[in-house]
Amino acid sequence: MTPVPFRTQLLRRKPLAVRGGHDGPELGRSIGTFSLMMFGVGATVGTGIFFVLQEAVPDAGPAVVVSFLVAGLAAGLSAICYAELASAIPVSGSTYSYAYHALGELVAMVIAACVLLEYGVSSAAVAVGWSGYFNELTGSVLGVRLPQELSVSPVPYEDGPTGWINLPAVVLVLLCMLLLVRGASESARVNTIMVLIKLAVLGLFVVVGFSAFEVDRFDAFWAAGAAGVSAAAATIFFSFIGLDAVSTAGEEVRDPQRALPRAIMGALAVVITVYVLVAIAGVGAQPASEFESPEQQEAGLSVILQNITGSSIPGTVLAAGAVISIFSVTLVTLYGQTRILFAMGRDGMLPSRFARVNPRTLTPTYNTVVVAVVVALVAGFVPSDYLWDTVSIGTLGAFIVVALGVLVLRRTQPGLERPFRVPGYPVTPVLTVVVCAYILSGLPAVTWAIFGTWLAVVLAFYLLWGRRHARLNDPAAARGEGV
Amino acid sequence: MTIVAGIAPGKPDVDGLSYAALLARSLRTRLRVVCVVPGPWPTPLSGGVDREYAAYLADAATEEVAAVRSLLAELAPDLGSAGVEAEVVPAVGRSVPGTLLEQVAAADASLVVLGAGANGAWGHVVVGSAADRLLHSSPVPVAVATRGFRAAPGTQVGRVTVGFRGDPASAAALERAVALCVDLGATLRVATLGVLGRTMYPPEVRGEDDVLEAYLEQATAAQVEALAALPVDVVPAEVERVVSRGRDWAEAVGGLPWTPEDLLVVGSSSAGLLSRVFLGSSAAKILRHSPVPVVVVP
Repeated sequence: MTPVPFRTQLLRRKPLAVRGGHDGPELGRSIGTFSLMMFGVGATVGTGIFFVLQEAVPDAGPAVVVSFLVAGLAAGLSAICYAELASAIPVSGSTYSYAYHALGELVAMVIAACVLLEYGVSSAAVAVGWSGYFNELTGSVLGVRLPQELSVSPVPYEDGPTGWINLPAVVLVLLCMLLLVRGASESARVNTIMVLIKLAVLGLFVVVGFSAFEVDRFDAFWAAGAAGVSAAAATIFFSFIGLDAVSTAGEEVRDPQRALPRAIMGALAVVITVYVLVAIAGVGAQPASEFESPEQQEAGLSVILQNITGSSIPGTVLAAGAVISIFSVTLVTLYGQTRILFAMGRDGMLPSRFARVNPRTLTPTYNTVVVAVVVALVAGFVPSDYLWDTVSIGTLGAFIVVALGVLVLRRTQPGLERPFRVPGYPVTPVLTVVVCAYILSGLPAVTWAIFGTWLAVVLAFYLLWGRRHARLNDPAAARGEGV
Repeated sequence: MTIVAGIAPGKPDVDGLSYAALLARSLRTRLRVVCVVPGPWPTPLSGGVDREYAAYLADAATEEVAAVRSLLAELAPDLGSAGVEAEVVPAVGRSVPGTLLEQVAAADASLVVLGAGANGAWGHVVVGSAADRLLHSSPVPVAVATRGFRAAPGTQVGRVTVGFRGDPASAAALERAVALCVDLGATLRVATLGVLGRTMYPPEVRGEDDVLEAYLEQATAAQVEALAALPVDVVPAEVERVVSRGRDWAEAVGGLPWTPEDLLVVGSSSAGLLSRVFLGSSAAKILRHSPVPVVVVP
């Protein structure tokens, strides 16, 4: 086999015929605008709303409502850019696959680093948040709380408490792993039920929250200034990762040119409405300063309800709903993570064991177990404060690369058929980059350091291992003669 | 080699009997049709009523055996000329599957045949209560006919299709299927079925189709490997390898072409109790959607 020059390898793109080389049926265009929109709502709402207020309100104060709008605007712009790539490149899969087909191997690896961080760390972050609600629930119902040693990570964050391990978070991740190993259908059924519960308990929070609404609590609306708004928006941003999945359905949507933007915009409108309502209800129900209290850091919305009603019942109901529904978020993010690693394993960017499917359950078992163990370790030993920001930087990085991808592809492949085109080109993708960069500017230096280190690790792995084992090194695969 | 076919009390099972005759004819082996009849209560001092009941059951058994013998002669008049030694015998027992297991042991049988259950679609395998129990406890392969199965005299099994998913249990099932092919003089078809179930994201969005494709590729490679591992002299001359995918099991099974001379072999679960037949979830789903009779091998 003739060795490929280094530069050529970094820039080479995966031919579309490799993906279409199977003799299986093509995906049918069966998803309509409304169902796609509802899917986006289900995949996004609740990703962080149960505990993000406690992270974001201390940064932005009552202006957290604006932070939600800024984060939503960036997510919406990015989702539109996703939609163009999704419709132009008729493959299923994640951002990593789009990048590999459109922008080359090196960019694909950069995006892989971003989305792995996004999905992997968000699974851990949500599991840590779940742990607080779980403790709140057992405390309210059984009068038993796990000791601090077993419910808080050992890594210190500012003046926060430390323990030995966040055991509930580890158990949650391992439970999700068992479900995912059992099968995709079983996981999907459980997930659907949990999403419905999630929407119901958020509705409960909004209704009860508005009953204690006091407009005075919005007095010092801009007290934290633009920096506070951008810092909170950066923290919140990970809540919107569900929207990228809407755009990746391009291959199966009826009339994608109309349906994709409408579904994205519709889902975004619904999601932002829900988020803003929850934020207004929360901020209107108690002073912004109280969001920093240690008990709210553990199970924020639930504690707010208890403070409002003076009864533990609504808070317990919300905590129970949150315990069930946040489970689904960990499940879905872990699932997304395993499928990205699966795609990388198939491309030879990771050992082929990551793309091996268990014949009994039809799931990538090895891949799922490895992901779950790593995520469980992160969830068990790292405080959530570090995790939220790291998720956001991964998401923002991926969104920026996608927006740049739209610009690059328009220039390098102007003749490519694009059933959906970004409206307002080139303003929209440029604006996406600008808004995402603005939000990124709000992230602390330690997050940048973590991100930089992670990117370096992924690229080092690629240079030392991945580029030698890439399937495109096989001349037949490089010509697109099927897999 | 002996085939045991089970007939439940008062239910002349035409499907099972017809299929047992076809298998015996194809395998040129002994057929023992067992009519399970209830026995009297084992009272130490039987009174008049008990003796009357015992006599009634004995008469009923004789009538049942005669009826089944006549039915078998009607369904497969050519068994004698095909060199098949067929017998219809009564066996006393309160549990049909339990009694059949005793008969399998007593006759040193290598296969037990049952008809389809009464509640299910015509032309498909319907697992009744007796078959269900046998599928969980039989030490020998269990054949289940499709509902309404009939075979014209002289019909033989022409092709054996074995369900293969690429794990050690499948390899074992393949070996049993190959042995069956040799005994039957039939061709072999190795089939892998892939089903794309529901996912958390809309279908295929997050690469579930990729997972399925990878599995089918993997299983195809495993088919080649498993066939290559078999001794050359036992592999049938005609071997076909196929893959079928669908959004559910009905679509995947129905995607394969089937003929009336087909027989489907599925392996039991690798999690089964020792080597006994214990159906895995995939095997159970394939079995329920099969349009041809199925043999489940332990």
